Amino acid sequence: MGQFLIAVLAALVGVTGVLGGMSPAMANHEIVIGMQCDRTGPTQIVGTVICPGSHDYFSLVNSKGGVEGHKLKVLEIDHEYKVPPAVESYERHKKEGAVSMWVYGTPQIYALAAKLTEDRIPGTSPGFGSAAAADGTRYPYIFPIAATYWSQGTAAVKFVKDQLGGNLKGKKIAFIFYDNPAGREPIEVLEDLAKTEGFTLKMFAVPPPGVEMGAQVLDIAQRFRADYVIGHLFGGAPAVSIKEFKRVGYPLNKFVSFVWGAGEANIEAAGGFGAAEGYYTMHFAGVGQDYPVLDEIKEMYKKQGKPAPKEMASTVYYNRGVLIAALHVEAIRNAVKAKPDGKITGVDVKNGFEKISNFTLGGLVPPLKVTPTDHEGGGLVQIWQVKGGKFVKVTDWYSAYPEVVAKHIKAAASK
Amino acid sequence: MIQRECGVLKTSYEADMALYPLPIARWTVGILGVVFFLLIPLGLHEYYLSVCNLVWIAVIGALGLNILVGYTGQVSIGHGAFMSVGAYTAANLATRLDSPWPVNLLAGGLMAAAVGAVVGIPSLRIKGLYLAIATLAGQLIIEWTINHVTFISGGVQASIEVPRPRLGSMVLDTQRDMYYFLLVFVVLAIVGTMNLVRSRVGRAFIAIRDQDIAAEIIGIDIFRYKLLAFAISSFYAGVTGVLYTYFLGIANYEQFQIGVSIDYLAMIIIGGLGSVLGSIFGAIFVTLLPIVIRLSMEAFGGLFFAQQTVLNLIPNLRLMLFGALIVIFLILEPDGLNRLWRNIRNYFRIWPFAY
Amino acid sequence: MSDEFGFFLLLMSNGLLIGLMYALIALGFVLVYKATDAVNFAQGEFVMISGILVAAALDVWKAPLWISVVAGLATMVAFGFGLERVMLRKLIGRPVIAVVMATIGLASILRGIGPTTFGAGSRPLPLPVPDAPIVLGPLFIPPIQLVGALVSLCFLGGFGWFFVKSRKGIAMRAVADNQQVAMAMGINVERYFGLAWAMTGMVSALGGIIWGNIIGVDVNLALVGFKVFPVVILGGLDSIPGAIIGGLIVGVVENVAAGYVDPYVGGGTKDFAPYVLMIVALMIRPYGIFGKRIIERI
Repeated sequence: MGQFLIAVLAALVGVTGVLGGMSPAMANHEIVIGMQCDRTGPTQIVGTVICPGSHDYFSLVNSKGGVEGHKLKVLEIDHEYKVPPAVESYERHKKEGAVSMWVYGTPQIYALAAKLTEDRIPGTSPGFGSAAAADGTRYPYIFPIAATYWSQGTAAVKFVKDQLGGNLKGKKIAFIFYDNPAGREPIEVLEDLAKTEGFTLKMFAVPPPGVEMGAQVLDIAQRFRADYVIGHLFGGAPAVSIKEFKRVGYPLNKFVSFVWGAGEANIEAAGGFGAAEGYYTMHFAGVGQDYPVLDEIKEMYKKQGKPAPKEMASTVYYNRGVLIAALHVEAIRNAVKAKPDGKITGVDVKNGFEKISNFTLGGLVPPLKVTPTDHEGGGLVQIWQVKGGKFVKVTDWYSAYPEVVAKHIKAAASK
Repeated sequence: MIQRECGVLKTSYEADMALYPLPIARWTVGILGVVFFLLIPLGLHEYYLSVCNLVWIAVIGALGLNILVGYTGQVSIGHGAFMSVGAYTAANLATRLDSPWPVNLLAGGLMAAAVGAVVGIPSLRIKGLYLAIATLAGQLIIEWTINHVTFISGGVQASIEVPRPRLGSMVLDTQRDMYYFLLVFVVLAIVGTMNLVRSRVGRAFIAIRDQDIAAEIIGIDIFRYKLLAFAISSFYAGVTGVLYTYFLGIANYEQFQIGVSIDYLAMIIIGGLGSVLGSIFGAIFVTLLPIVIRLSMEAFGGLFFAQQTVLNLIPNLRLMLFGALIVIFLILEPDGLNRLWRNIRNYFRIWPFAY
Repeated sequence: MSDEFGFFLLLMSNGLLIGLMYALIALGFVLVYKATDAVNFAQGEFVMISGILVAAALDVWKAPLWISVVAGLATMVAFGFGLERVMLRKLIGRPVIAVVMATIGLASILRGIGPTTFGAGSRPLPLPVPDAPIVLGPLFIPPIQLVGALVSLCFLGGFGWFFVKSRKGIAMRAVADNQQVAMAMGINVERYFGLAWAMTGMVSALGGIIWGNIIGVDVNLALVGFKVFPVVILGGLDSIPGAIIGGLIVGVVENVAAGYVDPYVGGGTKDFAPYVLMIVALMIRPYGIFGKRIIERI
């Protein structure tokens, strides 16, 4: 009986799989974008918000008639932050004719870098991934299009310098980070700045999954007694770090976090805005709901008779989703303008990305300038602070020590 | 079809001991060969070929694990770590010494075998659950070592790009090339395993699994054979890691974490412990499961749920179905898909008789 | 010098208190193994599901704290009974790997169900415990750790007494020792199995509440389950006092590794240092410090 059931189950699954695989031929003039997400893995706290943000922007563009008349088709595949499903999803997207890839995750962009270059399809890695990929000549098909971890590192040091009175000589800065390649990426830049600016830098690795870091926090607060802490954690770890620092009595307003520890979701997981008072956060997209494009999205939902999606309230990650989608659309728009019949390829979209400049979407997007040699666009970030129950803007768009970042990019390219 | 076994006469020992003594078996293998070597690669689209490639890589890994767990009875949760050892050995050799891929492949496999033998040393003293947890510790320690020792990991990113394998002047860079490349190794692995389990070494393994104290009494040096099992299984794992690295073009330790070890254990349990065909079935099943779930949800999910819910549901559904299938197979059919296949085959083997 | 010593004391106190909380989770594992010889690889997921249930009750249905806690405990007890009835009864007598894989499969199912029914976001689990640390000289003691350690000691002591003094506890030990003789004595083996899993469910719920408060409630809560293995192997798979000792050792080793070894090797030793210790212990004393001696030496 059991075996019969299993056989029936297997047959059913097989049939549905085959039926599902026979997708209809691609409609004409539809531009396909391949999107990855992590909705069930270690970074689901970001994925479940950032991906709906992108989807909503793409729907908005489609509702207005598409890009210069061509509709967008977005295919999303969840890879649970693992590499083999990401590679398989890339192949699937390629089969469906994707001309642009919205890659999610640092190991994934590393794994796909060679394939993207071989197949000549551009892939984006905003705010994560390899910082060396900012070099457009070495990695022509990888587009960070937002501050890489190196730029985030230099920006953090500049912010700490301003906070500590303009001089870092003799000060102690602790860098608490997730112990994996993405977490270790900024270290070389930070060490470089430690030498030139004269501060003592100490590293504190938090092994994945980063849910227990009591000893490291104790060390930072009680033994090393850091003057300032720079945090580079993601997933569930930022929330835990906020709680741990509070538990040892370390002031949260001496803590600045990189972009992936900076969302409403992280703050809420830490116990809410009241619990995280003083926490400084770094962003590569605007924060809050005060942007025209978000009103347009709400309008779109209202016209369908639905309320605004609840992911919108988590503005940090939602807005980043909108930003990434908007940049993809801009690149496609540039490509279509060069080829009005809409039959664009990956190469056209790559050229389209490299033409992006002065596209700010009402302040949501920093004034990026992407060029064929600089795929990062300037490494611009903003700092917002948790104050009085919400995010308060502290600085405007800025980037710091570009010469240091450029030096490291050049060194990486020569390897 | 009982007549397939009638009238089959052997006149030499070699003929009797052949891998496929019955003519119908030879025909089947021949047809399968044509299908896999000609029809599939020439007929299917590249995306499907890439999925097949993933399956082939999984088959080799599953065969290796089945040798250790299914035939020798030593539970191991460290398979992913051995794969990463092989992958990084090959990647380092390829980038530092520019060595050709056969050298990398062998070196990766041997290095993994050596590490596997070391991890297997506790099997001297401990069995069952304790050994499983010791191998889990081995997995974590190897992961940490690769992550932190930059000599092995190639720097902060712990990723090493490898150049595509070359065959003479031809560079293997399309999915179809990869398909043939991997298929050769899969055939080698399958034939190798089938012969291994029929040989003296294989019989020693099975003896250790069934009654290790009795095996020791009749003179089998179980310590040596246990280490050998770990080494052979890790060799397969190392080769899997190297092939996977060549498939992707990059070696990254995050691809070989504990989830992978558990996936391979699931493969051999669902497929059937202690059988070559079981490993193959299990590998195919577990690799294709997430893809099939996604395809069917995309085809039919829209009927029941809103689009965002479908997207949120697919990965969770995959986790749930994966776990549920493991449990169902364990409860209903402990010998896995292999037993199902055997039952079907036996039914046809003695048809039209009932027994 | 005293600064260093103060830091050492801090690490020790942190380690001991956290170790007691690990022991609470290990208790769930030990209960099941002691009573049914089954290995529960899904212990972390039990903790996660209980945490999610209680946090959801607080968050979604806005129930007051004590109702949520009681509801969480009751649900987990029922879950334990149900699980034994549906799944584990069929696996009695199967080899180790079967039960291990079954619980791994169960872990996978629970990981999928959690976010599907309650959403993927991380939730806090507020308890009426102050956040500010208690300062005792050089020591900083977070109150939640004290609460957790106390709860842990209470329940460990309670179950210890249960197994030694109470009738049901002795019956459970009889069942674990030799099922057939226990059945011959008129003990309803299956009901005691169910009771064992229900007790694990309850203990997991407690663990879920306390750990959920410390690290937030989401899928990652299941990862505390990994700490269980060194604890139970060091202490003995079926020994309750062993769980306490094992937990304390693991907690201290982790913190010492993080504080003193990490700076030399670039970090990350915290997670696998207990496993290294565990392997050493396995080679010397495979059944743990307090475990039952099974003559399985080869």
